[in-house]
Amino acid sequence: MSSGKASSVQIWQYITAILLIGLLGFHLLERVPWIWGVSTMDQTLTAAFVYSDYVHFGWALLLLAYVALFHGLNGVRGMLLELRQGRMYTATINALFWIVFIVFAAIATLTVVKLPAYP
Amino acid sequence: MAREQGGAVEKENRPGFWRSSLNPWTVRTKNNPERVAFVLHRVTGFIILAFLLAHILETDSPVWSQIVYHVNGWAFWNHIMGIESGLAFRIGEFIVAGAVLFHAPNGIRLLLTEFFGVGVGRPGDPKPPYVPFTFTAAQRQWLYAVFVVWIVLWIIAGVIIFT
Repeated sequence: MSSGKASSVQIWQYITAILLIGLLGFHLLERVPWIWGVSTMDQTLTAAFVYSDYVHFGWALLLLAYVALFHGLNGVRGMLLELRQGRMYTATINALFWIVFIVFAAIATLTVVKLPAYP
Repeated sequence: MAREQGGAVEKENRPGFWRSSLNPWTVRTKNNPERVAFVLHRVTGFIILAFLLAHILETDSPVWSQIVYHVNGWAFWNHIMGIESGLAFRIGEFIVAGAVLFHAPNGIRLLLTEFFGVGVGRPGDPKPPYVPFTFTAAQRQWLYAVFVVWIVLWIIAGVIIFT
């Protein structure tokens, strides 16, 4: 399995970091109560509030999940490749990276696609 | 003084992976804030990734609870939120918030210095006392600003989480 050039993988790490600043910033602001006219953070986590988030910003939350997964898993992948070197070891780490990424990206996609309607 | 660790010899001036990149307690902090930031960036990255994987499973609960437990997905969501309003989970959220609020500003500093190449000073001939140019460049002030911003935002996050 090809791992790509180290430099190009690192560039993707920077690109995802730039995207995360905006996407995660927005996601965190969703939990700040006084922005939304409520008094506690728990009120921003009610089913009605969260469902509204998904309806209006589902695509952004999905993009955030993909970008954060890539950035986080690729960071750990880089650290694991520092630990030791070897063709088999590198291939194993790369395979694990893609397996975990695809599984969790699929779960995140399922959340947005199959979300039940709020009663 | 060399010592054995996991079959490998670890020399004091050449610490191994754990001591040099993942253990904040082994960092000599004097005039070494970049090393502190490097280790903290890795440690907070691990904390955030662990939370992210759990968070994806948690936010999918309205979907998977219908399949696994045959219950109303949103009722199950409220049930989970009730559990997570406990003190232990709030402390966990506070730790994750601290991790994010360090990782993000320091990440912006790394983007500026490593990706855009600004704030690292101009190269020049080394002269006594041979202080690297990057240590006197703007990135050092940005790093101190990152630490200040981190603590201030973490306090604000604590107020939001615990009130």
